[in-house]
Amino acid sequence: MSKLDVTDIQGVAVRGYNFPFARFLFLKFSDKQKGRECIGQLVKHVTTAERWDQGKPKTTVNVAFTYPGLVALGLPEPSLLSFPVEFVQGMKARGAILSDTGKNSPHHWDPVWHGEVHAWLGVFAQLQPDLDRRCLELLTLLQESGAAAMTGSQDAAALQIDGKITTKEHFGYTDGFGNPEFLGLEKDAQPGQGKLAADGKWMPLATGELLLEYADEAGELPVAPLPHLLANNGTFMVYRKLHQNVATFRKYLKEKGELYPGGVEKLASKFIGRWRDGTPVELSPDKPNPTIVQDKDRNVNFTFGNDLDGARCPVGAHVRRTNPRDAFGFNGKLINRRRISRRGMPYGPYTPEDQPGRDDEEHGIIFMALNASLFRQFEFVQQQWIEYGNDARQGNDKDMLIGNHGGCGKVMIQGTADHDNPPFLCGALPNFVELRGGDYFFMPSITALRMIAANSVDPR
Amino acid sequence: MSNQSGNIYGLTILSPIKDDPHGEISHSLAIRMYLQTLPVDGKGPFGKVSSTHMARLVVLDDVVYFGMPSCEEHLKSKYLIFESNFDGELEPYLKQLAAEAGDEVHNIWQHCIGYPGVQNVDAFVAYMKRCQVETTFYFADVNDKTVQQTLKALQTQSAVASFIENNQGKPPDQLQAAFVEFLRRLSIAPRPKPGSTKGKELADELL
Repeated sequence: MSKLDVTDIQGVAVRGYNFPFARFLFLKFSDKQKGRECIGQLVKHVTTAERWDQGKPKTTVNVAFTYPGLVALGLPEPSLLSFPVEFVQGMKARGAILSDTGKNSPHHWDPVWHGEVHAWLGVFAQLQPDLDRRCLELLTLLQESGAAAMTGSQDAAALQIDGKITTKEHFGYTDGFGNPEFLGLEKDAQPGQGKLAADGKWMPLATGELLLEYADEAGELPVAPLPHLLANNGTFMVYRKLHQNVATFRKYLKEKGELYPGGVEKLASKFIGRWRDGTPVELSPDKPNPTIVQDKDRNVNFTFGNDLDGARCPVGAHVRRTNPRDAFGFNGKLINRRRISRRGMPYGPYTPEDQPGRDDEEHGIIFMALNASLFRQFEFVQQQWIEYGNDARQGNDKDMLIGNHGGCGKVMIQGTADHDNPPFLCGALPNFVELRGGDYFFMPSITALRMIAANSVDPR
Repeated sequence: MSNQSGNIYGLTILSPIKDDPHGEISHSLAIRMYLQTLPVDGKGPFGKVSSTHMARLVVLDDVVYFGMPSCEEHLKSKYLIFESNFDGELEPYLKQLAAEAGDEVHNIWQHCIGYPGVQNVDAFVAYMKRCQVETTFYFADVNDKTVQQTLKALQTQSAVASFIENNQGKPPDQLQAAFVEFLRRLSIAPRPKPGSTKGKELADELL
């Protein structure tokens, strides 16, 4: 295939910026014409996927729209009607499929999600003052346009521990390993990303698993809006604010860890499939190994084919459920159309490990994922691999970490006859994570943004 | 014999549906409307025939034409498709169906050509066998275990999980005593009813 036009693709669609500070602004348009003019101004700020050979910028800006947002901007009806149905419905309406029920149901969500959200403006920065300055600049632009109001915003930031910026999340795990690689996107190829080839090597996934109007892993084109230019180089984004019950997690881990012969840290590693420093348990089942964590050729480079019983990495461990690699056989082919690109970022202050922490404090993770088909990729992973266990032969068991357990979940940690690696059952699972809002967004290309701005989207 | 896989019988029946151009509504619609009134939980007709693993009733109007380049084909009539995976032999199953769910069977099959009623059981069995076609695929989750074995296994699985959760890490003598008591309770526990979703509760109760 030909090289992708990186000047036309929004940067965050194809790579995580790894900036420590971010703010997500939620907008509501009040006027079609002014809204489109405002997009015309905004597009000049949007960060593309061009390489940063001259060094990283201080800040980045990206934009994406909900379906009501595209309606509010006056896209022609034939275009609106051509969007995939799950995007049109929005995340709230998909709650039954996603198990966003009980404590995760919309009436527990943040106030901003109780009204209509039309657009997401994502601003990332290397320094806090730069973030504030850039956001002020964007808000001034919005205000002057008279087109949109900011109905809410969400700050996110890498956790700082002892004054140092880290890649930890609130439960103490090192996060941010691994994202799929795609054909045509220049990246430092890392073995373990992408898909498994017949010879055991790793290859990039088809571009159409991420970007619209390119062939996907089945050689098909995912459902995309009309016309071609509106969809081309665009993608769909999931935004979910996941509150973390730090106290509940620490208490549960301590209680069970005291019963588990391998100890607290080993149990923590079995939950996720990585030791808290990031070492994959599949590669180092007995102890963390910082050498592996730092080695790009090894830290995402593993398979489960020789551990089908889950003796090293439990079958229900979070990283194995959400990316089963070759665990379902067929050399991993069954999962190649279920991959998502994650852009997660914590929010809220870090609670030192020696403290019990609190559930009601404002802290968690902003989970963002990009994929060409929300239905086939994100929704499938959420419904089948997180909230259900049949594919992993775990019956009705849910993902230990983010499943909506409602206090009565269980997860089996497989083991061996070794004294410190016995099988262990964790029952009465509470919800460690609770959904606090989110939606589905369409992230258009630069060309499409300019077409929207010029009111020249022509589906005929 | 592809109709049988171990202890499990795979039944496929195609009964042609009556065509009456003068009827108020079509016979196929009458079947559909009746099927919609049937309860979906264990209280349905197949809940009464407790050897049924899975049963399905479908009204097939015709072959769907997808446009060029596929060729256009039609069936000679509309059909009622009845599929069932059950334990044991065909004749006893059909006889039980007529005896336990006769009203429902009659309300459905009365719209089919040649249906003799359920009063004469031998005639009903002969009719159903005339409509039978060979089964080549089974419901994916059906294995070689009977419904009763499956229900007991699900109850046991759930009970064992609870047992492990409550007893893991105990000293060997206490663990053994608890396990002996657990086995005793499990052996006398009431078996979950077919169609029951209460296996977990039953398992928890006995612990």
